Amino acid sequence: MTALVVPGAAAPARRRVTVHPSTFPRLVAAEWVKLRSLRSTWWTLVLGALVVPAFAASRMSSISAVPEAVGSPYLVGAVYVTSGVALAQLVFCTLGVLSVAGEYGTGQIRSTLAAAPTRVPALAAKLLVAVLAVMAASLVAVLAAWAASAPWFEATGMSVDLTRGQDLRIVLGVPLYLGAVTALAFGIGAIVRSSAAGIAAVLGLLLVVENALASIPWTPIQTLAAHLPASAGSRLLQADEVGSVITVSSTTDLTPWQGYGVLLAWVAAVLVVAGVLLRRRDA
Amino acid sequence: MIEATGLTKRYGDKTAVDGLTFTVRPGRVTGFLGPNGAGKSTTMRMIVGLDRPTGGTVTVNGKPYAQHRAPLGEVGTLLEAKAVHTGRSARSHLLAQATTHGIDPRRVDEVIEATGLASVAKKRAGTFSLGMGQRLGIASALLGDPQTLILDEPVNGLDPEGVLWVRHLLRGLAAEGRTVFLSSHLMSEMALTADHLIVVGRGRLVADAPVQEIVARASSTTVRVRTPSAAELEAVLARQPGTGVTSVAHDLIEVTGSSAPQIAAVAAHAGLVLHELTPVQSSLEDAYMQLTASEVEYRSTTADTPAPDATVLARPAGSTRPTSGAHR
Repeated sequence: MTALVVPGAAAPARRRVTVHPSTFPRLVAAEWVKLRSLRSTWWTLVLGALVVPAFAASRMSSISAVPEAVGSPYLVGAVYVTSGVALAQLVFCTLGVLSVAGEYGTGQIRSTLAAAPTRVPALAAKLLVAVLAVMAASLVAVLAAWAASAPWFEATGMSVDLTRGQDLRIVLGVPLYLGAVTALAFGIGAIVRSSAAGIAAVLGLLLVVENALASIPWTPIQTLAAHLPASAGSRLLQADEVGSVITVSSTTDLTPWQGYGVLLAWVAAVLVVAGVLLRRRDA
Repeated sequence: MIEATGLTKRYGDKTAVDGLTFTVRPGRVTGFLGPNGAGKSTTMRMIVGLDRPTGGTVTVNGKPYAQHRAPLGEVGTLLEAKAVHTGRSARSHLLAQATTHGIDPRRVDEVIEATGLASVAKKRAGTFSLGMGQRLGIASALLGDPQTLILDEPVNGLDPEGVLWVRHLLRGLAAEGRTVFLSSHLMSEMALTADHLIVVGRGRLVADAPVQEIVARASSTTVRVRTPSAAELEAVLARQPGTGVTSVAHDLIEVTGSSAPQIAAVAAHAGLVLHELTPVQSSLEDAYMQLTASEVEYRSTTADTPAPDATVLARPAGSTRPTSGAHR
């Protein structure tokens, strides 16, 4: 090959645009722009927030009196108010999967990673935004459910009183629990990188696997089932007097916060796998 | 400036990119050519850190892409496949990209205006035509006003006005001292846009030279000769070492490995009359086909010539170049 004719080392072109480093706060801000600019976000947030008061009202309206066996009826008020969480979690998990797997389906992930080539901060920013959005919607949902249930409180003797530790735990447990399962779904979505496969995996775990295992009357399997993500985490939403409204699992020695801790451990494990795979795989 | 050293990518036992070493310099447009499956897109994806090289290294503006703290301000990228969520509007997509680097939202409107997307900026990207999608990709690449642009098939799907616009845009950016690296199958477009070419075949470097040199290298040896004594001239020329003769018609032959004056001298010596003696100037396309003839990954079986056929390479419409030895 003959010598190349190279134009003399050209001076860098003058900058017309101010560009800053892509720090984590900027990535979070960008992920918020991305989340709020998709219709599916608003559909799922609104739907998830609506089913909680809708369920609460329909349950309340079907109850004329709390069974004597429960003891004081006020103890179960918070449980009935939050009963729609069983359905809302499916909607919010769909949002969790879509927010990350949807980027792979459309190719958006290439733009995302081009702007944040160290990758893991982009995933963390996206997770944070999705979880905070779900927690905010969940808080609105539980407050709306409380308001929707109020007309029946007097007739049934039920109530929700945040000065009672258990009621406070159950009411605040709604955003905490739904935020955590959204994070779990997000992690699974990031691992499988497909919206359809991710939603199938998450719903399969929550609706089929956990309930199927919990219905096998053999102690080791019962113990295992009680430690699966939703069964363990939903302890946070249970009154000690009544069972779970989210899963059929009932035998557990976990306290509410231990149960939630087990859910968080599942979430952490899934997210670590997602983070390692994100760094390793070609995008 | 893009510097690749021994860049290699293997998928299982298939080698997509095989020890590529090249430098893309600022201040000029560098074209990246090669048949389908030659490893162009994979190479570009490795440059911006989307694919991890199996071996070798590549840096952009002196550092691996992932080590830039503000990568969009260093490198603007348009990859062949769409890289936009179909449910998001063009403006929201650009705004999100801008937000990652604290770029003023006014810059978003600027690139929307500059790429002719103003009328569709609020529409969802999923409704875009191929050409509109390309414009959005170019807008995204320009967002951070980068020193280096990496564009995979930027004119793919653009209308003639768009092709012209991209050509002027890229030449303008190079003239400002930026590094412009683009791949294309459109040889005619490359001949008009690029100053320098990097040609790959089957993942290996085939050529790395200025456009004129690549054309000159390929065109130096074909001469068209029209003579009533074609058979006799062919017989005489065949005795000249290094000379190849191809019969085109009963009175027309093409000669390679010999110059027009040499052929004239041979004909005069043998007492043969010549009606035409034309050195044939090859186009870039011929040069490219000669370079890559042995490197084509996906050869069409309908080809009636030894050269890669037109499904591999988009031929410029209305090419008036005389037939040469490369393909007939």
